[in-house]
Amino acid sequence: MLVLAAIAFTALLGPLAIDWRYDAIDWNAVHAAPFSPGHLLGTDSVGRDLLARTLVGTRVTLGVAAAAALVALVVGVAWGAVAGWCGGRIDEAMMRIVDALYALPFMFVVILLMVVFGRSILLVFIGIGLVEWLTMARVVRGQMLALRERPFVTAAEAAGAPPVTIILRHMLPNLAGVAIAYLLLTIPQVVMIESFLSFLGLGVQEPMTSLGILIKDGADDMDMAPHALLLPGVVMVTLLLCLTRLGEKLRDRFTL
Amino acid sequence: MTLLVAEGLTIVIGGRQIVHGIDFFIEAGRSLALVGASGSGKSQTCLAPFGLSAATVTGSFLFDDVELVGAGEEKLRHIRGRDIGFVFQQPLTALTPHLTIGAQLREAWTQAGAQRPSRAEMAAALDRVGLDRPGERLDQYPHRLSGGQRQRALIAMAIAHKPRLLVADEPTTALDAVLRTEIMALLRRLTVEQGMAMLLVSHELATVAHHADDVAVLHDGRIVESGPARQILGAPKSDYARALIAASPRLDGPAPILGPAGAPLIEARDVAVSFARPGWRSGRLEAVAGVDLDIAEGEAVAIVGGSGSGKSTLARAIARLGPIDSGEVRWRGAPLPSRKSMRPHNRAGLQPVFQDPVASLDPLWRVRDIVAEPLRQLRPDLVDAAVAARVEKMLAEVGLDPALANRRPSGLSGGQAQRVAIARALSPDPALLLLDEATSALDVLVAGTILDLLGELQRRRGLSILMITHDLAVARRLCHRIVVMDAGMIVEEGPTERLIETPRHEVTRRLVEASR
Repeated sequence: MLVLAAIAFTALLGPLAIDWRYDAIDWNAVHAAPFSPGHLLGTDSVGRDLLARTLVGTRVTLGVAAAAALVALVVGVAWGAVAGWCGGRIDEAMMRIVDALYALPFMFVVILLMVVFGRSILLVFIGIGLVEWLTMARVVRGQMLALRERPFVTAAEAAGAPPVTIILRHMLPNLAGVAIAYLLLTIPQVVMIESFLSFLGLGVQEPMTSLGILIKDGADDMDMAPHALLLPGVVMVTLLLCLTRLGEKLRDRFTL
Repeated sequence: MTLLVAEGLTIVIGGRQIVHGIDFFIEAGRSLALVGASGSGKSQTCLAPFGLSAATVTGSFLFDDVELVGAGEEKLRHIRGRDIGFVFQQPLTALTPHLTIGAQLREAWTQAGAQRPSRAEMAAALDRVGLDRPGERLDQYPHRLSGGQRQRALIAMAIAHKPRLLVADEPTTALDAVLRTEIMALLRRLTVEQGMAMLLVSHELATVAHHADDVAVLHDGRIVESGPARQILGAPKSDYARALIAASPRLDGPAPILGPAGAPLIEARDVAVSFARPGWRSGRLEAVAGVDLDIAEGEAVAIVGGSGSGKSTLARAIARLGPIDSGEVRWRGAPLPSRKSMRPHNRAGLQPVFQDPVASLDPLWRVRDIVAEPLRQLRPDLVDAAVAARVEKMLAEVGLDPALANRRPSGLSGGQAQRVAIARALSPDPALLLLDEATSALDVLVAGTILDLLGELQRRRGLSILMITHDLAVARRLCHRIVVMDAGMIVEEGPTERLIETPRHEVTRRLVEASR
């Protein structure tokens, strides 16, 4: 949790404290080694400061993750809540749609979007969000079905609360814990997908960067400059570990 | 011969002393019932000395002259496997779902080193515990059996290895009244037949006392009274035992004084409800098959029946809180709208109280908001100050400390939570209160106080009550009239006293028998 906060904080404010911008090229120091003057972690093959790039990359990755997870949360909770509340045929139909979307190969969808609309960071958000809400919808629907049978929901109906009120005031707050826990478990997945897309060259565009791109660049130069792979790699692993741990803890606490 | 002797038995769990040095003994072939409210330490007394809970046990616990306190895990397991059988409260969860009854019975049989039983032997064992068609049952999976049948199967397993002591921890609490009596009688018969001793744990003094030789009443980890069952039931010496006996409703107690009944309040005609059976195209299950029910103003009516008789489904259908297939319900002469089109003034007249008090309160809400919810929804004319004043008044009326208003349900005891639920139900001034097993999840003493409260509210407010229960004695405490349901139909109805004294239908007779 603390480590997570530290990473996010540094990624947000760190770039301000460094002399080099992430895309500025220092012609005097191409392929500089770590701890060389002016570049604490050295530079890459075209002379861009690695520390600055890592920080910005982390920021982009976290940003994409947060945005996509938010999309997943909103769409997934809404979809799952409606399906779980209505039940019966509506529920069946809505969940079959989810199943159908699950069955679509994700990469195919993303590549198709890229081809049709051109490459943009927005598409990355949308693409990832589109996939991640499915799991959330299933989780929320399951919780709704369980909650519906609880007597306090019947009691609320007897108290004259209309369905919208019951869902918003009784049921959603009671499944918020679970939803947030799954949200936190979604974020590392999104980080992975984003990095993977960037690694394939489908994600974020140069000279903008993300952890995935940095890892890809680092992997290209692995034999000459292993630190260029190590740093973003370590950041990413730490990030994933922290998020997953936190998510699992919350899930265990809130699962009905 | 004395089989089991406990002396100065003390049990500590997590630094808290649960049982404070109690003494008791059981002779072979006799049964002892430990009776007490929840938290009295009765369950721990029968589990901890056998190494079945994470508690520290001190004192002395001699089983067949072998000291169990301080005995190693290996030795305890050996004794448990060879000489002791256990029956627990939850028959629904105590069987492994993916193994047939036969496979589980065989496992219980052979665990103590006995020969593998033949099918005939196993069928005979099931027959002995009163399971019908025992040969067929051997190949069935637990989900095919009803609660009572599962409890019988579990008892068959517990005694399969011919133990000398049977420990039964609330074996009938999860069952309805009729099954309760049958299972208790079965346990009693088996102890006599097999010469077993039985250590029985229960919170219901009345039920247990008829089926045990001796009774020890436990209160806060101490035995407050012990002796032969007849003596304790007939002439209890301690105040606590007297309170326990007084609290459990009995059929032979003094008849309650009930207010007069007035004009018809609810007239339900030909109500039918059915559910889709689980699985694809497996048809529908008729839960309520065309039932008529009338309730007058100020009248209390009980629907009594075993589990699965459709009594809850009927009440919910009438109250528009559950599904209904067909039938008409009239409220003060005017038709009651369908579930989806109930207006606030329709809802306000009819409020429910459910069985599980904690589950019927939203865990995230404060007591104040829970009680205020019906007011906010059903009485939009009230301003905030009026709502707050009414909440205070309701809490006082059900005997709750106003300081509890800021608590959440997790901070309430079962009895307090049920009082909150009653306060919530009464807050919009209903004419009819629907009590769905409102006291059966509570301790005897707590249930007694809740029944007293309901009786008082009934008199003071002239409330009509529709009570759903499996216990005739509880129904008798509050109700003018009793309706007996079985398999979705009304089999008998009549004034309370007449129905209890001269039951006409077989189901009624069994219910009366169970409540004696």
